[in-house]
Amino acid sequence: MIAVSQLTKSFGPRQALAGVDVRVAPGECVVLCGPNGAGKTTLLRILATLARPTSGTVRIAGLDPAKAGADVRQRIGFLSHRTLLYDDLTAEQNLAFYARMYAIPEPQARIDELLERVGLTARRHDLVRTFSRGMQQRLAVARAVLHRPAVVLLDEPYTGLDPLAADTLTALLADLTGEGCTLLLTSHNLQSDVTLNRRVVVLNRGRIVYDAPHTDASTFPALYRELVGGGAVSGQQSAFSRQPSAISNEHPASSIQLPGFLRHVWAIVGKDLAAELHTREIFSAMFVFAVLAMLIFSFALDLRGALAQAAAPGVLWATIAFAGTLGLSRSMAREQQTGGIEGLLLAPVDRAALFFGKALGNLALMLAVEVVLIPLAMVMFDVPLLRGGVLLTALLGTVGYAAVGTLLAAIAVNTRAREVMLPILLLPLLTPLLIAAVKATGALLDGAAWAEIGGWGQILVVYNLLIIAVALLTFGYVIEE
Amino acid sequence: MRKKGLVNGVLAGLSILMFLVAFGMVFFYAPREATMGEVQRIFYFHVATAWVGFFGFFITFLGGAVYLATNDRRWDILAFSSAEIGLVFITMTLVTGMLWAKPAWGTYWTWEPRLTISAVQWLLYVAYIMLRGSVLSPEREARFAAVYGIAAFVTVPLSWFAIRWWRTIHPQIVSGEGMALTAKMTTTLLFSLATFTLMYVTLLRQRIQLEKTKDQLATLRLQHEQAGHSDL
Repeated sequence: MIAVSQLTKSFGPRQALAGVDVRVAPGECVVLCGPNGAGKTTLLRILATLARPTSGTVRIAGLDPAKAGADVRQRIGFLSHRTLLYDDLTAEQNLAFYARMYAIPEPQARIDELLERVGLTARRHDLVRTFSRGMQQRLAVARAVLHRPAVVLLDEPYTGLDPLAADTLTALLADLTGEGCTLLLTSHNLQSDVTLNRRVVVLNRGRIVYDAPHTDASTFPALYRELVGGGAVSGQQSAFSRQPSAISNEHPASSIQLPGFLRHVWAIVGKDLAAELHTREIFSAMFVFAVLAMLIFSFALDLRGALAQAAAPGVLWATIAFAGTLGLSRSMAREQQTGGIEGLLLAPVDRAALFFGKALGNLALMLAVEVVLIPLAMVMFDVPLLRGGVLLTALLGTVGYAAVGTLLAAIAVNTRAREVMLPILLLPLLTPLLIAAVKATGALLDGAAWAEIGGWGQILVVYNLLIIAVALLTFGYVIEE
Repeated sequence: MRKKGLVNGVLAGLSILMFLVAFGMVFFYAPREATMGEVQRIFYFHVATAWVGFFGFFITFLGGAVYLATNDRRWDILAFSSAEIGLVFITMTLVTGMLWAKPAWGTYWTWEPRLTISAVQWLLYVAYIMLRGSVLSPEREARFAAVYGIAAFVTVPLSWFAIRWWRTIHPQIVSGEGMALTAKMTTTLLFSLATFTLMYVTLLRQRIQLEKTKDQLATLRLQHEQAGHSDL
């Protein structure tokens, strides 16, 4: 089921994996042990298609993740260090979102079944942010196995669980094994039932130093300390004790069809808007900031007549630009906080759908703010902004802004100075868009028809096409590890 | 290694020599411009640094695109090195432009298209350099920078059109009818362009080697750390 050969992974000069060879048979349960920094998580993340190997080969059910990523992701369930759940959605909404991403048939029945199995039926309508660590972990397990994966990868699944929650998880893992699911989990607990009587693979400094069944709880900890403290020990041959899995590998082909693509885009937009409806934090921040900026500009400039008409486009677009920066930054940070991006990456979804979904969600929020902002600018500057041409300019400008902003917010959220990095990256790139939008709005306020503003409209259209093309080509590189 | 050092030495020597010749041509060979007088001579450095800056950013774009396609660190080093050098030259363009603008237009700065596009480029590549220093993972740093370098480069032509349509008072050196320069002026300009291009190549080679040396040092440090751990 899992075949890894001569796998290496380097982060700059640091080699996390240094030639790993491991095979896991269908239906087998293997425990991966090793000290911190041994490469366990890196190995799991490569198998989960979240990271690319530097060299070597990986096969999941005979498929190469590099060539058939979506097919592999359909077969894999991954429980990360992070829950990959959205705090601002309910337990049921989280599972429903992932059910749409994996195109699960009869999702409600599956969601009901899993909530029952992890003991969260009574809390199904509660926001995840109100859950304890143990409850979040149980829901995360339900998310990981929601689409009935043939392979489940679990990274330290018992971390932070109380004994009761640990028992629930152990029972769930036993059920999965009983159903023929292939399990690969990492653990630090050498004396627990998790490792006992299972095949244990010990990683140290990116190499496998032990690979054999663990049968003696009294001697294994001492052996382990010797292994990880004293360098490489000849690995023993692994025993493939289980028979091939009863789970079918014949998942539906996940080549990107337009209906599937649109379904994924819509699911992401719906998820973002549902989370926003629960908190209203992004819209509120953008709205209040935009109103404040407009009032301050109006008060400071205090213009009337032709001067007000000349200044209004610049003030309007400066306000949209600053308010948009605020919202984009928060939108991507929300995705990052609980590892939502990883959750999206794990799903068999085209990266372009992820980009469109996020960009459309951001666009919807920005347009919602503009619905209030444009009439406010009209009142404060006494200019007729509610015209077809002006609204079309606002739409085109906001589309381009949301597109480039989504791409750059995904970059900025992964930087050290994430709070200040987005405007630094974004505003210089917006130069042509802002100039064209301001000039087009000004010309339209002067009485020109849309057809008469010439090059400004063309710049807006070309900018949007160009930046969307760049974003579609590069978004995958930005969000993947 | 010794051969590389020799090539670098020759390139550096040639760059200095050509710069001295260009300096002489600007002040003693090129004629005095009738309208602007002596101050116009800054034009030969201004245009040459602008060319190298733009070319440097094109190489950054190219290096970034190839890096994304190949995941080969050498292309990332090329892109990063070229961006740094391009930024230095665009800074020189801005400074020489402002020095030229004061006597010519009566002000150090005006929102004129070429000045504006240079300022926008300066901001873009300052952001590029800041981004590179702000990402913890080296692999991510390279990918993010490549994506930003591509996005930055493809929006520059649009910025140029937008700004030019917006307002212009900048002199048109090259137009549809050819260059508005005398033969000696053209020769001096072309020699300056060649000189600054050679300086770019020289600096680029040095910067690439410096980055490779940093990589080697990081590897050695890591090996040393690991050896230290195993001793414990």
